[in-house]
Amino acid sequence: MKQVWIIAMRELRGRIWNRSFLLMLIIGPLLLLTMAYFLVKANDQGKKNLTVLIADPGNIMEGVISSRENQKISYYFVDGYLDLDEFKRGKDYQKFDVLIEVNEKVLNNKKAFVFYRGFLSSDAKNSIKFNIERRIEEVMVNEFSTLTIDKYRQMKQPLNMDYRNVDDPYGMQSQSEGYVGLIFGFVIVIFILLFGLSIMRGIAREKSNRIVEVLVSVVKPRRLMLGKILGVGLSALTQLFAWSIFIGIGFWFFQNYVFSEFFISDEYITMQLNEGNDVLFGKYNMLHQNEVIDLIYQRLNLSVVLPIFFITFVLGYVFYGAFFSLIGAGIGSESDGQQFSIPMILFLFFAVYIGYFSIVHPESSLVAICEFIPFTSPVVIMVKTCQGYASGSGYLLVVSLFILFLSSLIMLYFASRIFRNGVLEFGHSLSIRKLFIWLKSDS
Amino acid sequence: MIEIFEVSKSYQRNVALNNLSAEIPRGQITGLLGPNGAGKTTLIRIINQMLIPNTGYLKYDGKFLNHSHLRLMGYLPEERGLYKSMTVGDQLSFLCRLRGMTRAEGSAQIRHWLDKFNISDWRGKKIESLSKGMAQKIQFIAALVHDPEFIILDEPLSGFDPINVDLIMSELLDLKDQGKTILLSTHNMQSVQDMCSHILLLNDGTKIADSSFSELSQNHQSSQFVVRYRGTKIAFANSLWTDFELLDQHEVTSDLFEASLAQRGDRSVDDLIGNIKGHVSIEAVSRKRLNMQEIFLELVNANKPLE
Repeated sequence: MKQVWIIAMRELRGRIWNRSFLLMLIIGPLLLLTMAYFLVKANDQGKKNLTVLIADPGNIMEGVISSRENQKISYYFVDGYLDLDEFKRGKDYQKFDVLIEVNEKVLNNKKAFVFYRGFLSSDAKNSIKFNIERRIEEVMVNEFSTLTIDKYRQMKQPLNMDYRNVDDPYGMQSQSEGYVGLIFGFVIVIFILLFGLSIMRGIAREKSNRIVEVLVSVVKPRRLMLGKILGVGLSALTQLFAWSIFIGIGFWFFQNYVFSEFFISDEYITMQLNEGNDVLFGKYNMLHQNEVIDLIYQRLNLSVVLPIFFITFVLGYVFYGAFFSLIGAGIGSESDGQQFSIPMILFLFFAVYIGYFSIVHPESSLVAICEFIPFTSPVVIMVKTCQGYASGSGYLLVVSLFILFLSSLIMLYFASRIFRNGVLEFGHSLSIRKLFIWLKSDS
Repeated sequence: MIEIFEVSKSYQRNVALNNLSAEIPRGQITGLLGPNGAGKTTLIRIINQMLIPNTGYLKYDGKFLNHSHLRLMGYLPEERGLYKSMTVGDQLSFLCRLRGMTRAEGSAQIRHWLDKFNISDWRGKKIESLSKGMAQKIQFIAALVHDPEFIILDEPLSGFDPINVDLIMSELLDLKDQGKTILLSTHNMQSVQDMCSHILLLNDGTKIADSSFSELSQNHQSSQFVVRYRGTKIAFANSLWTDFELLDQHEVTSDLFEASLAQRGDRSVDDLIGNIKGHVSIEAVSRKRLNMQEIFLELVNANKPLE
């Protein structure tokens, strides 16, 4: 075991004192944080201040916008028609982003034209439609009925069919958790791919520069292989750990300085809501309107997800790492390695696809099977863990992890047999037949 | 020290070693010889436990060879390699630690060997910055740095210039004097003749010689004679009749000649002396000694499989 550890430490040191590794420690989290920033921003689209000019020649709206769903849209009115060309080019109108033409027929044909400059987000479109529609409703109710506007809106309210899972009656879960699980699974896959290929290339390099013959004269090939898998795995974990810290700091920074408006304490919300503070009510809504923020900070049970992620990461890495190491030991040339790593890469992509499939069709039999197949289970386990297992079916997680653990041991056994026989072979062309011969051979 | 009992090894249909039994004696340099493909590397790998024989077994000091013996062995493979991005010190320290030494023990040994080869200032250099010859020296040290009692060297002299060949050879003789056992696989017959006291010769996976060099030399005598005489060249040549073939002769000093003769048929030294006695004055008659190269060729050619 000591030899395994010495080899692992050499691998670890060789990797973490590498300039590209150190560079990736910083660039990786920065990239992810930038992506997260844009994701939140994209989710927060339409928050740009818009200035809307309403041309109301019939003075139907009487210069009033009664409801302001979106605080960042300012409305102005103009009497009479406004020529589109004049709005487009007129100096006085350049400050307006949107022109809405509400002509006299609007009460009959329910049609208004909206002209905008540049791009108008769907969020802004919805807000404008909501505001104008509400005002037109008020005018129509006043003009054509004896109902109060509140009564009308009560009548107009559609039936809300709220579909809830019996295991999640409060609707705490959504597909979003599944997608977070998919991201966790994707991180596992990416690390397996990058560091698995690194194991393969490392062994191939040691074969080609012949140091391997010196090593196996001192260390049993099985120990050499384990040391490599362990060392590369530790460097992967180091990277993951460093990334987690940097990303954690990044999210803390986002929470306090960049997206601070999304975060207010629950106590404060309750207190202010009781006092009917509309502004804070709006903020409370924002907190729940921003799906990404809500998901990351509120809905995921990270105390469960993170340990499961760690276990799945390690087991998945060992399973695939053993595979990559046996290919590394078996190859006789660089092209062999590329050729034989393609099936592994396809398996990993398939695992990601199954992860996505398990979000869309969680009850499908394919997902039920792939949950236990070690090639795909790391991603499916993460998706299902983030979604949450139904009560009484938590044992499925234990079974999946146990199968993955067992498969990793079996894979290590097969890999060590092939490694022992293949690592001293040079200059040949690797074939499936050769792998089987090595697997059966006692060296 | 190492006893090999009826060891056979095949790679699918190719027989690399065929029922080999031999002994590598303690405290001697044993030359492991044989043409390419004779099974030398296979035997070395079996001793190193990189390969498991199909049949047979090995003993190390009377005990069945096992993995714990690897720490007592040093190995310099023919195809050499080092971690290019590591420094000389780190590389040697890594190998010392793999062989069970503590950091301090390893560090002391590394210092000893680097000092011995006058290359202490290389310790912090990366392997990739060394020339081929410099890297060869580090590889040689890597095989010995843990002070093994049994050293396996596969072509240790290849890649060295004559000065370093001399250095390595004298180092090997030093190690022998210290009581180390060395298995030397090489095609450099001169070095075998100069250093090896025991020869193990393989051909097509089969042992064709396993004895001391003097014994081998004794058993493989030349069919040539060297005669020193005083007299005339014509009288000497006439005395040979058709029993011996005159290959070469030259004057050593005035009136003293040395002639090389080839034996014909089953003529003996007595026949030679009988022939020339009375024609010239005989100073000395000896059978020419075969060198290792000639013994090797004779043995291998004699054991060539029939086509």
